[in-house]
Amino acid sequence: MSDFYFSNIVLIQSTFTVLLLALSIQIQFRMGVFSFAGAAFYGMGSYGVAILVLHYDFGAFSALATIVVICAMVGYLLSLVVQRLNGLYLAMATVAFVMIVTVVAHNGGTLTGGSVGLFGVLTPVEISVPHLLAVCAVVVAAMIVSERGAMGRRIEAVREDPELASAMGINVARYRKMSFVLSGVLGALGGGLNILMMTAIAPENIGFPLIVLALTIIIVGGSRSWIGVLIGALIFTWLPVVLEQVGTYQSIVYGVIVAIAAIFMPGGITGIVTDLYRRRSARSNADAFESEQRLEARAAEEDAAEAAELQAELASSTTPSGGSR
Amino acid sequence: MSQLVIDALVLGSIYLLFCLGMSISWGTIDILNFAHGGIFMFSAFVASQIVSHVELGLITICVISAVVGAVVSAAIDVLAFQPILRRAKNQRTAELQILIGGIGIGTIPVAIVQFYTLSEPFGFLRSTYETTVHSFGGMRLSSTGLVVLGCALVLTVSIAYWLKNTSHGLALRAIGVDSETAELMGVKRRQLSLLTMGISGGLAGLAGALLTFNLGAITAESGETLLIKAFAIIILGGVGSTGGAALGAMILAFSEVLVLRYTGGGWVDAVGFGLILVVLLLRPQGIFGKKEVRRV
Repeated sequence: MSDFYFSNIVLIQSTFTVLLLALSIQIQFRMGVFSFAGAAFYGMGSYGVAILVLHYDFGAFSALATIVVICAMVGYLLSLVVQRLNGLYLAMATVAFVMIVTVVAHNGGTLTGGSVGLFGVLTPVEISVPHLLAVCAVVVAAMIVSERGAMGRRIEAVREDPELASAMGINVARYRKMSFVLSGVLGALGGGLNILMMTAIAPENIGFPLIVLALTIIIVGGSRSWIGVLIGALIFTWLPVVLEQVGTYQSIVYGVIVAIAAIFMPGGITGIVTDLYRRRSARSNADAFESEQRLEARAAEEDAAEAAELQAELASSTTPSGGSR
Repeated sequence: MSQLVIDALVLGSIYLLFCLGMSISWGTIDILNFAHGGIFMFSAFVASQIVSHVELGLITICVISAVVGAVVSAAIDVLAFQPILRRAKNQRTAELQILIGGIGIGTIPVAIVQFYTLSEPFGFLRSTYETTVHSFGGMRLSSTGLVVLGCALVLTVSIAYWLKNTSHGLALRAIGVDSETAELMGVKRRQLSLLTMGISGGLAGLAGALLTFNLGAITAESGETLLIKAFAIIILGGVGSTGGAALGAMILAFSEVLVLRYTGGGWVDAVGFGLILVVLLLRPQGIFGKKEVRRV
C-alpha cells in the first residue's frame, strides 16, 4: 500500500486537484449556469499563491486563504458583470475571461515570470496529500448536503426551469451569483493546492487546456452529481497510466471519448447508471403497484383512525369550553 | 501609417474568411461549430502533405484544402451534430451539447497533426508558387496578401448575395428564424444543414491554405486562438450577418495591428478577448444583429 502510495504520489495529488477544478465548473453547470470561469480561478489560484509566497513571503495557509477570499470576490464581481448573459454567450464571455487571465500571466513581467512562469514555490509548512484529502472531504461533504433535500430540489429547479423556479419564489439571480462565488472558492483551492505541491506554474498550464480537461471529466463522468465528477477525475488521471501503450495517441483518444460522450450519453456515466436503475425499478413496477395499493389501504385506515381520534378530541375539548378559542 | 492599413486589411481578410463559415452556420442552422478551427488547420495540413509529394501551384492547393475542409465539415455534421439535434430535448441543451461535442471533435485533428508533425510548424515547402512583393508609394503588399484580399472580397459578397437572393438562402434564413415552421413550409432542414456545413468547412479550408501561404507556416494549435477571435468578430457584427462579420473582422484586425504597433506583441490576443466581454456587456446582439426573442 505505502509502496503504491509513494510511487504514485504525483498522480494521487493531481487526481484531487483536478477534482477541485472540475467541481468548480460542474457546480455552475448544476445550477444551469454555462460558465467556464472555474478554469480562470484555478489559474488565478495557482499564480496568486505563487506570487504571495515568492514575492511577499506568505505562509502556505495564509496565502491559500487570501487567494480563496480574493477569488470568491472576483467571482462575485464577474457574476454582476455577466448577469444579463445566458447560454452560449455566457460560455464565451467566461472563455474570454479565462483567456485574459492567461494573457496577463504571459505579460506580467517579473510578477508572473512571463512565459517561463514561476517556480520554486516552497513554504516552511509542506502541503501534502493529507491536507488535500481533508480539503476534498470538506468540499465533497458540502456537495452532498447541497444535492439533498430542499436545497437540492431548489438547485434542480433553478437549472431545469429558471422561470418556474422564480415563480415558486426562488431567487434565481442569487443562486446564479452564488454559483460564481463557489466556483471562485473551489477553483482557487484547486489551483492553490496544486502550486503548493507541484511548486511550479507556467502560462501553458492554465487557460484553454484546463477548460478541455474539466469538460472531458464532467461530460464523461456526468454533470448532475459530484460522484460523476469524481469518476471522471479518476478515469482521466489514471487512464494514461493504465493504457501506457496509448501514450502518444492519448489526446486523440481523449477527443474521441469526449465527442462520443457528448453525442450519445449526455448524462455521462452516472446518467447511464441512474437510467438503468430507473428502468429496473420500472420493470418491477407490477410489484410496486401491488405494494402501493396495500400502502394506500393502510394509509386510508390510518387516516380514518386519525379522523376519529380528532373528532373525539374536538368533541371533548369543545363541550366544556363552549367552542371558543 | 498607410502600411498599417494594408497589414490590417490583409489580417482582417483572413479573419473574415475564417469566421464567415462559422457565422452562417450559427446564424441559420444554430450550430456554433467549435471544430471549425480544427477543420481549418487540418485542411491546410492535408494539403501540405500532398504538396510534399507533388509540386502544385497556389490555386490547386487552395482548392484541395477547401475540398478537404468541406468533406470533413460535412462528415462532422452527419456523424455528430445531426445525432445531437435529433436526441436533444430542447434547444438549450442542444446548443450546449453541440458546443461541447465540437470542442471534443476539434481536439482530434489537432492531436493527429501534433502527432505527425511533432508539434513543429508546417507549410507548403515544395509549391511552385512564389511570393512577389509589390511596392508603391512606400507601401508594400505581397502577392499573397493581394490574393487574400481578393478572395475575402469576392466570397463575402457572393455569400451575402446567396443568402439574400437565392431560394436556398431564403430557406436557410427561414430556418434561422423558426426551424419548425420552416420545415412545415417544405424546407428540407437536413439537406440544407449539410450544404451549409459543407460551405462553411470549404471556407475554413481555403482560409487555412491562404493563412499558411501568407505566414509561410502554421502550427497544429493555430486554429484555437482564431476560433475565439472569430467568436469575438461574429458577436461584434451580429450573428448571421455577413456585413457584420466583415465589419467585425476589420475592427478586430485594426485594433490588433494598432496594439501591436504601440505596445509589445504579448497583449495582442487580449484585444479579441476583451472585445468579447465589452460587446457582450454593451450590445449583446452585435452591431447589425436583431434582438433575439425567445418565448418561454
